[in-house]
Amino acid sequence: MSGQETARATLQAAIDSFAFHGDSAPALRGVQVEAVPGSLTAVLGGSGSGKSTLGRLLGAWLEGGRDGTLKGTLQLYVGDNTDESRPLVYSGADDDPRIDAAAWADHVGYVPQDAAAMLSAVRGTVEEELAFGLENRGTARADMVRIVAETAHRTGLTGLLERDPATLSGGELRRLALGCAIVADPGILILDEPLASLDDAGARALTGLVKAQLARGTAVVVLSQHADSLTRTASQWIVLKGGAVTAAGRPDRLLAGDSLADAGVVVSGLPGQRSLQAQPRLSPVPAAAPALELDGVSFGYHAGGPGSSLLLDNADLSVRPGEIVAVTGPNGAGKSTLLRLFNGLLRPLRGEVRVDGKAISGVPTGIVAERLGLLFQHPHDQLFERTVQREVSFGLERLFGDGAQARAEAALASVGLDGDGGVHPHELSGSGQRLLALATVLAREPAVLALDEPTVALDAHGLQRLTAAISAAAGRGAAVVLVTHDLAFARAHAHRTVKLSGGVLAGS
Amino acid sequence: MAAPRLNPLTLLAAAAAVLVITTAASSWAFSLTVAAGAVALSAANGCARRVLLAGTAILAPFWLSLLVMHGLFYPEGRTVLVHWGPARVTAEGLGFALDMGLRTSAFVLVLMLFSFSIRVPDLVAALATLRLPPQFGYVLASTLMLAPIIAARLGKVRQAQEARGLVVGKGIRSRLGAVRLQMIPLVLGLVHDAGTRAQALDARGFGRPGPRTTYRKVNDSHAQRGFRVVALLLAAVAVVLRIAASYLTGGPA
Repeated sequence: MSGQETARATLQAAIDSFAFHGDSAPALRGVQVEAVPGSLTAVLGGSGSGKSTLGRLLGAWLEGGRDGTLKGTLQLYVGDNTDESRPLVYSGADDDPRIDAAAWADHVGYVPQDAAAMLSAVRGTVEEELAFGLENRGTARADMVRIVAETAHRTGLTGLLERDPATLSGGELRRLALGCAIVADPGILILDEPLASLDDAGARALTGLVKAQLARGTAVVVLSQHADSLTRTASQWIVLKGGAVTAAGRPDRLLAGDSLADAGVVVSGLPGQRSLQAQPRLSPVPAAAPALELDGVSFGYHAGGPGSSLLLDNADLSVRPGEIVAVTGPNGAGKSTLLRLFNGLLRPLRGEVRVDGKAISGVPTGIVAERLGLLFQHPHDQLFERTVQREVSFGLERLFGDGAQARAEAALASVGLDGDGGVHPHELSGSGQRLLALATVLAREPAVLALDEPTVALDAHGLQRLTAAISAAAGRGAAVVLVTHDLAFARAHAHRTVKLSGGVLAGS
Repeated sequence: MAAPRLNPLTLLAAAAAVLVITTAASSWAFSLTVAAGAVALSAANGCARRVLLAGTAILAPFWLSLLVMHGLFYPEGRTVLVHWGPARVTAEGLGFALDMGLRTSAFVLVLMLFSFSIRVPDLVAALATLRLPPQFGYVLASTLMLAPIIAARLGKVRQAQEARGLVVGKGIRSRLGAVRLQMIPLVLGLVHDAGTRAQALDARGFGRPGPRTTYRKVNDSHAQRGFRVVALLLAAVAVVLRIAASYLTGGPA
């Protein structure tokens, strides 16, 4: 990683078909991608369109032969010498070429959607994690120190080098994963949903980073279900649906057509563009007693320890039945912590939380859960069963007795997963996992719904299901508190917004 | 804390030498001194609480069984202090139990002090300088780091289940029931994580043949290297002296 320019590289992929072992239908068919130096290509599509599969094939995290049957070619040109490079031709046969994943990663860096999956998990600090790939290459220590410092500077991690990676916020973790991919200074960078769940500042930092890579001559491919500020700067869009390309071309041309809506791509984020349609909102019940109340609640981790500060300082909040309240604030402000205080997973240092008029102090979370449903930020943390059906049925029998089965089925139908009861939750797409997690909350019909970043990972179809579910819940008199960094969504769907920042919960 | 400045191999050599010499010395007074020394060092090091807690958890049942076995039923015991039927408390039995107990206490406390004084990544980096295969270091590190990872994962599964109505009571039955519910999600989750991690490790060159380097600079010095040699020599001398002593006295002491 010396000088201002990276070793230029071009990747051409022509995937006639790719099917995972054991699947009859191909996950991808007829997809062609070309990544040329200094260009940004965006592959857009809804959930389950095959974006991540394409990204992992390009990054050699998936390989023809080992992981599935691949037919087509991959060709990587490094430097200006294009004559010596021979294409890797796959015919789905046993003698198909094998890729050395490490050698490939020297030229093609891939950052998965789940940034934590990128980490070695055995390094104690950010700088050691950044150096892991260099150590394996046998880089001399003096060079490593320089490259780590340079990469940290480029990814904005300089102040975090001594931190334990397990303590990083979502945005910081995403930058660390990107740093791990670019330490080898690859000519090509494949980024899967790089802006998901980042706040404005995090998204700006990451967008700036991508622009800097482009300026260095890196070819960047972004896989996303959002036509957002980053993907709009791409020179080429490829729209995927059901594993096949339904449209390709310049962004302005595709924005004018309806291929994006058809594929489930979320088009939002810029003023003047089509945005989420606001749902007609019922008014909350004015005279009713609050369904959820926070009364002078303070909370902090390691309170009393050296340098401890309160994440929540003397906060009051009152949400009436049928009311939808959005909580916004920067990453790390304590929004997720706030929701965990609602059902007693965390207990306040001072103050009282009341659900449905009853204080929850001393009441086990499992009992509070009868009246309050919590959607976790990461579906990975919420889903633990072997099948979709078992997942949504967990704990329902105790609540509804013989009616449990019907509730489970209705909840699955409301999020469009009624045909997937026998599927393993991990096999669902990102959007599917999020919707399943939502179904587990809806099935319990709680008086209060607490939703942590419910829009993340949802495609346009998923967003419609979510907004319909929120409206329906509010319509039957449930109070809804949703934490989100998506201000447009908050404005379109909430009766009011409160902001959490610096420990203070301020209404608007 | 002074200890992290030391090379983990120096601490390892010191711990190993102390343990070998304690065994060779075979004296309750020596064992007691070593055990007390370990506690004093851990106090100086700020980890006395953890060392004592972990040490007590391991040693309390051990001491109890020693006292029952050898205190009451020591076959070579001659000096009977008290007796109830076949059970006789003998001075020799108590002496043997005391000797064994103190020696084991010294072992456990020294090892606890060692493991709480090093950082795992430091030990892995130090082992890499011994030219051991990197896979050895990775397996060692992931084994030593497994407990916190499992605990974190288990905490998440428990939170997810509680948020959906699981009530874990204080009784042992309720707790065991909760553990049974959590085991399958825990194992499946860990296996899933391991699968994705393997691809990341591959792409980051972990499977590469050829030489590797280490980023983490582990403090070392001539003095420390010298100390390690001396520590191991002392241990060897202690063993030789011990064997010679038994040989001269015509049998094991």
